[in-house]
Amino acid sequence: MKKKRKKISFRTMWKIHGVIFVAPFLIGFVAFFLLPLINTIYYSFNEVGVGDQGGMTFKWVGIQNYIDLFRSEVTTTNTTMARLFTEENSTMLLSLPLIVIFSLFMALLANQKFKGRAIVRLLFFLPIILGIDVVMDMLTITTGGTTLDTGSNLLSGSYVTIFLVRTLNVPMRILYPIMTYVENIFDLISQAGVQTLVYLTALQSISPSLYEVAKMEGATAYETFWKVTIPSIMNITFFVVIYTIVDLFLKSSIAEEAYAFAFTQGKIGVGSALSIVYVGNVILVLAVAALLLRKVVKKNEK
Amino acid sequence: MKNKKAKTESKVDAGLAIYLFKNKTKKGLVRFFSLVLIMGLCFTIIYPILSLVPVVFSTVEDLGNPNVIWIPLEFSTISFKTAARMIMPQGLATMGKSVLYAAGIMVLQVFFSAMVGYSLARVNFWGRRLVFGMVILVFLLPRQSLLLAQYIYFVHFDVLGIMNLFTKAGEINLINNPIVLVLLAVFGFGVNQSLFIFLFSQFFKNIPKELEEASLIDGCGFYRTYFRIMLPNAIPIISTVGILSFVWNYGDTYYTNYFNPNGSYMSTLLSSTFISANKDYILEALRTWYDAPVATDLAFDAVKQAGALIFLIPLLIVYLIGQRKLVENMENSGLVG
Repeated sequence: MKKKRKKISFRTMWKIHGVIFVAPFLIGFVAFFLLPLINTIYYSFNEVGVGDQGGMTFKWVGIQNYIDLFRSEVTTTNTTMARLFTEENSTMLLSLPLIVIFSLFMALLANQKFKGRAIVRLLFFLPIILGIDVVMDMLTITTGGTTLDTGSNLLSGSYVTIFLVRTLNVPMRILYPIMTYVENIFDLISQAGVQTLVYLTALQSISPSLYEVAKMEGATAYETFWKVTIPSIMNITFFVVIYTIVDLFLKSSIAEEAYAFAFTQGKIGVGSALSIVYVGNVILVLAVAALLLRKVVKKNEK
Repeated sequence: MKNKKAKTESKVDAGLAIYLFKNKTKKGLVRFFSLVLIMGLCFTIIYPILSLVPVVFSTVEDLGNPNVIWIPLEFSTISFKTAARMIMPQGLATMGKSVLYAAGIMVLQVFFSAMVGYSLARVNFWGRRLVFGMVILVFLLPRQSLLLAQYIYFVHFDVLGIMNLFTKAGEINLINNPIVLVLLAVFGFGVNQSLFIFLFSQFFKNIPKELEEASLIDGCGFYRTYFRIMLPNAIPIISTVGILSFVWNYGDTYYTNYFNPNGSYMSTLLSSTFISANKDYILEALRTWYDAPVATDLAFDAVKQAGALIFLIPLLIVYLIGQRKLVENMENSGLVG
């Protein structure tokens, strides 16, 4: 018995302990991720009903659920699925670069040295708690007539706009999209909390000697930014972009639709099909983003 | 002689002075503009909260009054009280329950994510890369995509037929049982937990190996090394993850709403009470409770925003205590560089 025990080397023992440490995650992975995933795929090819004794019954229907999903089913707000997906994706792709650039911008501002920096930082990271879905819903979505706005109408009613339109004759066609973005700035900020935090720490971890060298060599601030700052934070940009995509997908309404299909309309199969299409969509977007970014990151690392 | 020298020097200096002056004004201008920008941004961030105050604290009659913008004519706490009664049915106990729930889940999440993160970073066990890939995969796939199957799974909860021992049906309905939320946190699937595991593993990767070796030579085993040496060294990342976890769990409506809908957490109460379908109900409550016959749609929004304000109080407190550490700690988190 003792001899056998000795056979397990120290290294192996260490590894076993390591496995014990990840065991909870592995169990969770199988129980809360893998099984539900397999089940979702299985449900999506079946017509799921409730049996006489309370169990679930399955009838294989092939890809009928998917066909139904895009042909005949509509969402709770009466739009088609194809339209729901296009809308979700286009808003996501539009806000992704905005959020990333904006969070970098906020981090750059917060990284400067000035008086009252502590207060500014306190406010800059407030979006981490203001950006929580519930709070955002309560703050922005209103039912009454003229109600609280989150910075909306600040621009469209301001003197700047009147000046631009009346005196400079800037056509509304150009001004309007800009105005919409400016007026939704709080939406943008509220989604950039964690990203700003990550960027700020990335900026602070850049070695000051790099900036000194740049200064000695006579680089302008502009050159320093593009040749020192940007390459140094390229890796973290990768993380920020992926995080933002995931975060934006988390906020999409597709899950509620799937839930509505399954438990309001009793079409578990269709709901599962929707979930699967959704997963495919997420993977596709992430893969494209990762491929594009990898090229940019590599280019900057040289 | 001295004068002459001074004169030539001043001639040279004149050029220098102009250069310096230019530089100074340039710097000053840049500074000025960035300050303006910063102030503008700060204003945009805080504006929604500031503008809540007059809406929440003015009398119901004043809400539509165009003459009242920032300072209410008469101070009143009706909306505030109504909201408090709505989202805190048991008074402060509800708030306490929500806070305790978030804190409890936070502790579990931190404890188990740290373990997994440590093992992934420091122990070269079999299939480590595979497990790491799993963590990333879980992070990437939005959790709601599996909601349906997870929900059904919890309705018919049964682990390898163990439940046969406890119930007749051989399965147990775990929906509405808070234990689901605990299970999820313990097994690494709470709110954003894969992100936390990732952060922990990045942090532990950067801790010098010598620490581990020293503790081994001093005769500590695996567990003692972890709990005595590694965990105390991980305080920065623990507090960062802790703050994020608390905030996200407190504000979470997803898991609480679907897996424990009757749990009456403040977040779920907030999101389920103040939907437009409930408008008449809330206005009616306002009229009967506080004798405000003119309560209009605007009053509904006032109550709703009062609810948001109440909900934010614990978060703001935690945030004020923790935010200064947040930036410092993220630097040591190993995520960067």
